[in-house]
Amino acid sequence: MGLNKWLISAFLFCASSSPFIGANATCVRVQVTDQLGAPVKDAIVYAMPVSGKLPATKPAGAVIDQIKRQFVPLVSVAQTGAAITFPNKDNIEHDVYSFSPAKRFELNLYHGIPAKPVVFDNPGLVVMGCNIHDTMVAYLLLVDTPYFAKTDANGHADIDNLPADSYKVTVWHYRMTEPNTQPSSQVSAGSDSSTRFTLQLKPE
Amino acid sequence: MRLHSLRARIAVVFVFLMLVVQTAAFLITNSVISSNARSNAQEQLSVAERVFRQVLHSNGEKLAQAASVVAADFAFRQAVATHDENTVASALKNHGDRVKADVVMLLDLDGKLIADSNGPALEGATFPFPTLIHAAQRNGDASSIGMIGGRPYQLVAVPVKAPVTIAWIAMGFLIDDKMASEMSKLTSLDVSFLDGRADGQWTVLASSLLPSKRSTPVNAAGLADENYASRLIKLQSPGEPVAVLLQRSLRDALAPFQRLRTALWFITLCGVLVSVIGSVLTARSVTRPIAALTRFSRRIGQGNYAEPLVVSHNDEIAELATSFNQMQEGIADREQRISELAYMDRLTGLPNRALFSDRLQQAIGVALRAGHPLSLMMMDLDRFKYVNDTLGHPIGDLLLCEVAKRLQASLHRASDTVARLGGDEFAVLLPTEDMEAAKMIAARMLKALEEPTMIEGQLVDIGVSIGIVGFPQNGSDMNVLLQRADIAMYTAKRTNTGFALYDEKHDHHSAERLSLMSELRQAVEHDQLTLYYQPKVDLATHTVKYVEALIRWEHPTRGFVAPDQFIPFAEQTGYIKTISRWVADKAIHQCAMWREQGIELAVSVNVSARELIQSTLPEMFQSMLQKYDVPAEWIWVEITESAILDDPDHAIETLERLRALGIRISIDDFGTGYSSLSYLKRMPVDELKIDKSFVMGMTNHKDDETIVRSTIDLGHNMGLKVVAEGVETEEMLEQLKEMRCDLVQGYHLSRPLPPAKLELWLHGWESNQREAANFKLDLPESIEPV
Repeated sequence: MGLNKWLISAFLFCASSSPFIGANATCVRVQVTDQLGAPVKDAIVYAMPVSGKLPATKPAGAVIDQIKRQFVPLVSVAQTGAAITFPNKDNIEHDVYSFSPAKRFELNLYHGIPAKPVVFDNPGLVVMGCNIHDTMVAYLLLVDTPYFAKTDANGHADIDNLPADSYKVTVWHYRMTEPNTQPSSQVSAGSDSSTRFTLQLKPE
Repeated sequence: MRLHSLRARIAVVFVFLMLVVQTAAFLITNSVISSNARSNAQEQLSVAERVFRQVLHSNGEKLAQAASVVAADFAFRQAVATHDENTVASALKNHGDRVKADVVMLLDLDGKLIADSNGPALEGATFPFPTLIHAAQRNGDASSIGMIGGRPYQLVAVPVKAPVTIAWIAMGFLIDDKMASEMSKLTSLDVSFLDGRADGQWTVLASSLLPSKRSTPVNAAGLADENYASRLIKLQSPGEPVAVLLQRSLRDALAPFQRLRTALWFITLCGVLVSVIGSVLTARSVTRPIAALTRFSRRIGQGNYAEPLVVSHNDEIAELATSFNQMQEGIADREQRISELAYMDRLTGLPNRALFSDRLQQAIGVALRAGHPLSLMMMDLDRFKYVNDTLGHPIGDLLLCEVAKRLQASLHRASDTVARLGGDEFAVLLPTEDMEAAKMIAARMLKALEEPTMIEGQLVDIGVSIGIVGFPQNGSDMNVLLQRADIAMYTAKRTNTGFALYDEKHDHHSAERLSLMSELRQAVEHDQLTLYYQPKVDLATHTVKYVEALIRWEHPTRGFVAPDQFIPFAEQTGYIKTISRWVADKAIHQCAMWREQGIELAVSVNVSARELIQSTLPEMFQSMLQKYDVPAEWIWVEITESAILDDPDHAIETLERLRALGIRISIDDFGTGYSSLSYLKRMPVDELKIDKSFVMGMTNHKDDETIVRSTIDLGHNMGLKVVAEGVETEEMLEQLKEMRCDLVQGYHLSRPLPPAKLELWLHGWESNQREAANFKLDLPESIEPV
C-alpha cells in the first residue's frame, strides 16, 4: 500500500466538537478502502497512545439491538470492560450467545431488555449469534482504548478528541482475510492528521 | 403342376415376393431391434448415469444434511468452541453414528485436523482434501469422493458456525460392495467403482458384480467388454482419479429383443407358409377358370356350341367367360350363316349342290346299309334361257323361285330333298323311293309345273325335263348316279317326254359303247370296214366323173352298222384318226386301181372336223398320193360347214395346205350349218354340196326350192361347182337340171356301191347314155343298187 494513496485523501478533516476534551484535543481522520479501492463500511479504527497512557475513564457502554432478527448494529466497538445491553426489539424471543474466547456468554431466551448488561472484560473480538436464529450475527470488537471509530458508508471514520500524542492507529474489519494481522499506522495527533488503510477483504 | 404353367408362375412369383418382403421385413426389423437394443442399452446407461449422479448427489446431500445437523448442534458447537478435544471427538463419533457415517473429522479453519472419529486424531495433520473445504466455503457444503486409507469414501464437508464458521466437519461414507449393490438396484445396472492408478490401469474398489466376474485390473480399453454396454464416469475426486463403471449386460439387454426376434422368425415363417398356401390357392382360383375356358374354347374349336360356360363369379374371369359365351353364340350364328351360304341357294332357299351332294352321299350310305332303294332326279327347265333373255333376269329369278316352291310342294316326305344345283338345274333326292314311286313323283311335279305362272303380269309357261335314276340298279356311286340322271334328263328333253328313266343306250359312256369301241378297233384290224362309192352325175354331160367314198361296217353279229352310229362315237374317242387314215388309204388305192383299169373317177373322201384341225392331215394325204401314184386333182376332200366353224382359222389353214397339194375341197351339207359367207369367201373351196333335206323338200316347198336355187346361183357366182344330194326322183333331177345344177347324187341315180358293182353300174350307165344319146335320157330301172 503506497503512501501516495493516503495523500490523495489528505483533504479530509475532523469534525470533532467534543466539549469534554481540552482545546488541544485533535482528531485523526481515517479512510478505509478495500483491495479494489472501494470505501469499506463498518471498519473499526482505534488509536492506542504509543505512550500507553490512557485516561482513567470508565468504559462507555453500548447497545446492540435485535431488530427484525438482525443485530443492530452489525459491528460495534467498545472499550474493554464496557457493559453492553442487548435489547430485544422483536416480538419473538432471542437467545444471544458467544463462544468467542474474549467473552463466552449466553443470554437465554428473552424478551425486551435483559436485566443486566453483559460486561466484556477482555479485549478481542466477540462474535455473537442467536441460538435459535442462525443467520443472526454481530461483531463486537473490544479494544483497550477509548479512542475508536467506525467507518461510514464512505469508508470514513474520525477518531475525535484525541489528546495530542502519538498513536498507533489500527484497523479491523470482520471480513478481513487475515484477521490476526490488523494493519496499523503511527499517527502523531498534534494536529489533525489523517491516515488511510487498504484492507484485503473476503467477499461478502 | 408344370413349372411353366401360369399357376406355377403365379405361385412362384407370389412366394418369391413374399419371401423378399418377409426377408426384408425380417432384416429391417432385426436390425432395428438390434440397434434399438444397443441404443436402449446406451439409453439405459445414460439414464443410469443420471440416476447414479442423482443418487450420488442426494447421498451427498443427505450426508451434508446430517453433517449440518451435527454442526448446528449448540452443544457440539460449544464443545468445538471451547476446544474440548475429547468432548469434541466423542461428540463427533456420536453424531457420526447417528447418520451412520464411517468417518467424521473436525477441521479448523486452516484445514488442520482437530478431531477424528476413527481414533486418536493425527492432530495437526492436514486434511487431505482441501478442495472439498474450498468448495464448501463457496457453496456452504460440498461433497466428493476421496480415498482414505486406500478405501473410497463419499465425503462431505460442512462448516461449524458460531455463528461465523469456526471449524469444518468432514463426514465420509465408505463406498463398498453393499453401496454398489444398492446403486445397482436403483440404476438396474452393474456398478463398479474404480480407482485409477498411475499406470493407467483401473482397480476395482467396489462392485455390485460378484467377485468372480470382476476383471481386475482393467484398462480403459478393457472396459469395452463386448458382452457389456458400459460407461465410465469419472467422479469428482481430489487426488487419485476415481471412476464408476456402469455396465449393462448386453445379453440381458437383448433378452427381450431376442424373444422378439424369435417371434419375428416365427411370424416370418408363418407368413411365408401362409403366402405359399395363399398363392397356390390364388393361382389355382385364377387358373381353374382358365382351364375351364381352355376346355370350352377347345369345345368351340371342335364345333360344339351346345352348352355355354356357367358364369358363377363376378370377376374378370367371369367377364372373359361371358365374352367367351358371346363369342360362342357369335361363332354359332356365323357358322350357321356360313353354312346357309355354303349349303343354301340364296335365291330359292333350297339346298345347293354342295348340300345336295352331302345328302346324296349320306343317303347312298344309308341305302347301302339298309338295303333299300333310292331314287334321284335331275331336271332343268325347258327354254329357261329364252325366258331370261326375253323377260330379263329378275323375272327368270322369280320363275326359279316359283319352280322351287312347286317342286317343294310336290314332295310329301320330309326326307325328300329338292335342291337347286345352279342355273335352271334342279335335283331331287328320294332317299327311300324306288323307280316306280319316283316316276309318280316326277309325274306329280310335271303336273304341278304345267300350270302357267303369272310373274309380274307376265304369263310364263314353263316346261321341265326330268331324268330319273335308281339306286342300286343304275349305279352306287354318287357321281355316276348324277351323271346318269343327267343323261336321262337329256333323253327326256330330246324325246320331249317330260321325264325319262336312265337307259344305257343313251349313254356315251355305257358298257355297250365301250364294247362298240373295241369292236370298231377289231373292225379296222380285221377289214370289217369297207368303202362304198356313190356316183355324182354331171347334168350337162350325163357322164360320171366323180364318186363319193362312204364307209360301211358289216358287223359279224349286228349286221350293217350305219356310219352315224359309230362315226360320232369315233370322233368322241379320238379313234376317228385311225378310221380317217384307213378311209383315205382305201379310197386313194381304189382310185389308183381304177386308173389302172382305165376308169377315170375322182374320189371324194369325208374328213371330220377333228381331222381338219389336226395339222398333219395334208402330210398324210401327200404321202398316200405318192404311195399310190395318184395325181392330187383326182382326190376331193369333203368337209361339213360345222367342221369349219369350230375353229375357222386352223381349218382354213389346213384346207389351204391341202389345196396347195392340189386336192380339191368340197363343202358338205351346205345350208345346214349357219355358215358365214365371209368364211366361204376365205376358203379355197371348189364345190358346194347342197344338203339333201333342201333337195328332198324342194318339190313340195317353195322355200326349199328357193334355197336350192339361191345356193346354186351363189356357188356359180363364186365360181364353184354345185352338187345336189338326195336326188330321189326324176322330177327332182329335171328341176335341178332346169336350175343348172352341175352335179347330182342320190338313190335315183345310184346308191353307194362296192367298187365292183360300181364298175358294173358305170358300164350300164355308159351304155344307157350311148342309147339315150340316140333317143332320150332315161334311167335304167334295172340297175338298182344292192
